Amino acid sequence: MNVKNLFNPRNILILIGVGIALAIPLIFNASQYVMLLMTTVLLYAILASAWNIIGGMAGQLDLAAAAYLGLGAFTTGTLLIRWNITPWVGMFLGGLVATALAMLIGFPLFGFKVKELWYALSSSALVVVLQSLFMMWNEVGGPTEKYLPIGTSPWYSLRFNDYMPYYYLMLIILVVVLLVNRWIRYSKLGYSLLALGEDEDAVEVLGVNSQSSKLKALAIYAFICGVVGGIFASIYGYVHPAFFDTSMSMEIAILGIVGGMGFIYGPALAAIVMVSFREVLRASLGSQLAGLYLAVYAIILIVVALYQPRGIAPLVERGIKKAQTYFVELTRGRRADIKSH
Amino acid sequence: MDVEPILKVTNLTKKFGNLVAVNRASLEVNRGEIVGLIGPNGAGKTTLFNAISGLYRPEEGTVFFKGMNVTNWLPHKICKLGMSRTFQVTRAFTHMTVEDTVRVGAYNRFNEKNVQDKVDQVIKVCDLVDIRKRVCEDLGLASLRKVELARALATEPEMLLLDEAGAGLNATELAVFMDLIKKLNQESQITFCVVEHVMQMVMGLCQRIVVLDSGEIIAAGTPNEISNNARVIEAYLGKRAVHARNQ
Repeated sequence: MNVKNLFNPRNILILIGVGIALAIPLIFNASQYVMLLMTTVLLYAILASAWNIIGGMAGQLDLAAAAYLGLGAFTTGTLLIRWNITPWVGMFLGGLVATALAMLIGFPLFGFKVKELWYALSSSALVVVLQSLFMMWNEVGGPTEKYLPIGTSPWYSLRFNDYMPYYYLMLIILVVVLLVNRWIRYSKLGYSLLALGEDEDAVEVLGVNSQSSKLKALAIYAFICGVVGGIFASIYGYVHPAFFDTSMSMEIAILGIVGGMGFIYGPALAAIVMVSFREVLRASLGSQLAGLYLAVYAIILIVVALYQPRGIAPLVERGIKKAQTYFVELTRGRRADIKSH
Repeated sequence: MDVEPILKVTNLTKKFGNLVAVNRASLEVNRGEIVGLIGPNGAGKTTLFNAISGLYRPEEGTVFFKGMNVTNWLPHKICKLGMSRTFQVTRAFTHMTVEDTVRVGAYNRFNEKNVQDKVDQVIKVCDLVDIRKRVCEDLGLASLRKVELARALATEPEMLLLDEAGAGLNATELAVFMDLIKKLNQESQITFCVVEHVMQMVMGLCQRIVVLDSGEIIAAGTPNEISNNARVIEAYLGKRAVHARNQ
């Protein structure tokens, strides 16, 4: 890679973004409220980016993010509460449990080529079923919160008094998930998934096994949700069946769609913009008229659906292209000047 | 010549509820041939194609490809064995570029290291160099037909099923397309089976023609034999046309 490629507008934007994300907590000496808010934004960004693999690329309208998140949370929480196993291990085991269930569900669904509304309903049902199960399963879940012990070392139990470590942990995971997205997008799996999202039969006759490709995508998505679920439990300090949240699953899918199906950074961008906006609205309007923020949120969604149905990423993409041509003309112009002198 | 045919379909039956779309159809295609499959609308041509390429499961009958019984195989496995196809209504990956579309097919036999070479080669062969970075939804029908052929070609098939590849093309585009198929047949030794309504293409391209009507194969032979076959004329133009011709 030469220097010119390194300094193209896209990479500069990414560097600025990461720089800002790293610096915000330090510069603004942010309050705990703001830190929690930003951690939540990152959580949504990670989940939406993970959703991008199954939803954006493979075109499966998955509404089970909270199911995998909840499983990860309960696995991590239970391991810590019962056997004092650190969440650093627990979250990966949680990811594996989520993946295992996803495979169990995905195998028949993708085998029968369940798609669109039917897939959305099936995956959405998973969240509801798990919530009911964990509500009744008193040893692990039950109607009262199960608190995660802090123990001797906050680093061992991943239980900090401060939201800052969680923020940076989430930031690292977001970068990793975006890199995974990028890696998948430009691999055999990514091209197959993108094509599968458009026309399944036409891809199969080109030698692509649709079932196994989609299972791979679902596995990666469920694993990320499960791992993040472990951290989610640590941040809140307890586990509860309310973690299996249908509306959260839906919001993840919405962010993925608004961000731009299949664009690597689109869903994360949508999460950062929309979730911060939502929280600010909730804080400023919540006291006067509870629920108004949801109406404003809905209006934004409708506007995006009407005027930018492929999401905001293509819009950004166009902007970047314009900037790129501008840069190229600028450097060419300079060279022309030098030649003429 | 007792060389085994590359594709051998025996007594294939496909039903949709009470409708028998294909009824005990048998068909053989020899290696290196271009065989035309014709018949009136609704005769079952596309259904037969779908059953051969694995998209439908036939109720009865067998499909042998390269000497292997591929009946009820999944489409991607049949493709791995060396058969791919195009579709009647173009089924382009609308939001993908031409190059990426071809790449999906090229991964069938190539890995990350050498997939790009195959993509470049196919794009050159199919004359798509100028539009390789264009998104499929921006392309016209003639280009889409070429892209569909290209992505199937990228899987390195020994046999290609083309479903109405000539439909909707003008005379110039058709000539270009026919030349491409002839070239692929002669230089790359790809066997073709084409479903076609455009008679100019069928007559100019095919060495042998099979006629399907109401799910049954009613005739097979050289283009000349077929165009003089009474049952074929009846199927296309009705009984009176046969009488008129005989008088």
